Amino acid sequence: METILSGVFTLMDRLLPFAFVEPAFMKRALLALLLTAPAAAALGVPLVQHRMAFFSDAIGHSAFTGVALGVLLGISPSWTMVAFGVLVAVAITLVKGRTELSSDTVIGVFFSTVVALGIAIISREKGLTRNLQAFLYGDPLAVTDAELLWMAALFLLVSAYLAFLYNRILLLGIHEGFARTKGVRGPAVEISFALVVALVVTAAIHAVGILLVTALLVIPAAAARNVARGAASALWVSVGVAALSGFAGIVASWYLDTATGATVVLAAAACFAVTALYRVARPRE
Amino acid sequence: MTVNEHLHTLEIRNLTVRKGGVEILSGIDADLRCGEVTALVGPNGAGKTTLLLAILGQVPYTGEIHFCRAAEHGRGAPRIGYVPQRLPLDPDAPITVLDFFVLSAQRRPVFLGASRRTREIARESLERAGVAHLLQSPLGRLSGGELQRVLFALALQDAPDILLLDEPISGVDVAGGEQFCDFLSKVQCDSRFSLLLVSHDLSVVTRHADQVICLNRRLVCSGATTEVLTPENLAAMYGTDAHLFRHSHADGHGHLHDGGKR
Repeated sequence: METILSGVFTLMDRLLPFAFVEPAFMKRALLALLLTAPAAAALGVPLVQHRMAFFSDAIGHSAFTGVALGVLLGISPSWTMVAFGVLVAVAITLVKGRTELSSDTVIGVFFSTVVALGIAIISREKGLTRNLQAFLYGDPLAVTDAELLWMAALFLLVSAYLAFLYNRILLLGIHEGFARTKGVRGPAVEISFALVVALVVTAAIHAVGILLVTALLVIPAAAARNVARGAASALWVSVGVAALSGFAGIVASWYLDTATGATVVLAAAACFAVTALYRVARPRE
Repeated sequence: MTVNEHLHTLEIRNLTVRKGGVEILSGIDADLRCGEVTALVGPNGAGKTTLLLAILGQVPYTGEIHFCRAAEHGRGAPRIGYVPQRLPLDPDAPITVLDFFVLSAQRRPVFLGASRRTREIARESLERAGVAHLLQSPLGRLSGGELQRVLFALALQDAPDILLLDEPISGVDVAGGEQFCDFLSKVQCDSRFSLLLVSHDLSVVTRHADQVICLNRRLVCSGATTEVLTPENLAAMYGTDAHLFRHSHADGHGHLHDGGKR
């Protein structure tokens, strides 16, 4: 595994002979972003279509509690964050399915409960606040090799997942009854989608932090809606915007000496602005 | 138009659907025969959509739904096409009509492109429905009538045995409604499926349906259109002093009026 990584690093040196790529931590940061941002952006297209931005925000914030739990229980917070995020994602989806309550309401209840739990835990352990900053704002420059490998595995997982299920996910969102007549199994698709989103959100937190993680899913997808006409171009534009923003954001943060995560999100916002202007200038129909 | 020897029949026997302790549908008996148009009428809340969902297997029920094919045509399970009333899509949604065909029928994910076969199928189906020009149109921007034809094309493409249409006339203007009726006649003549049509619009029903099922949680009546829509049955369904007036237009459609001096 270590040799694969050093191989990748050598390749990066050759392809990008720039000052900002030289330090190992910059290479890791760049890889972290290029692995998580496009995956998030790809999931973001159906997420935005099905109005689940609030859901992704809830998962992001539940990660806060997941980290607090990890520190409290003495387990590596990176992993409790993922586990707890997945738990909350599945719980929200199941409760939504069983009750007549609207999405908004169910998510709102979970969101607040989970964050309150996190704050309660932290307030007891005085030393935690410093650890948490990295999770709130993101710290891609501190990403470890283990985390990178996890992100790479996730990238492959998301690619495979979408290759097999993207059509069904979109169809389910268009009309549930119709999708079911075409053999789509609603509950299974919904839960698997929630699960994969939770995995990617918790991974992306390393790159941009809890406060901004929803941006990685929503902004590229929103930009894509401004310019894309069909489902294929919507996905590729979203992924392209994410990759571009990830790269541009890292470079900019190096030279401007700003927080990397926030700079990446600003780069994505700039892309959105460009696509919005394009759309205003060339209205459809 | 109806063939005496039916290729297949969907038999519904004593169908009951319960939700939260209340019986939404009680003891429904019906036959949907190949080559026939059956209209399902009744007031709001009568259970029409529930009956469709039961046929689709999307709602638990007691009783029997049995699909019989004539001997030569083997297999048991019916192919059911479903044309929903509307698609809740915003006009912005980046999904074209072709994409919709891809999502419904293709294994390859839509972001890796539509296969040649899917394109051909889509083009043919849309042409048959008279809307070939909508292939690349955004789904969310179609008019009520256009969307209906696209949904119809999509449902027919699978060569279904039974086609379920949920309120095909609502949301479509008068001209669109007429076009739909003509289209319906044409398709019925050259295809071999049975059609179940849920409608509030009795003019469509009297013009096209071979048989009518009148529903108000229970079976109020069923049978040939001309025999079934009597004042008594209409009153039992709609609960008011309802009458069917036949206008003296050439095609003789009827409208439902309530109250009245008669």
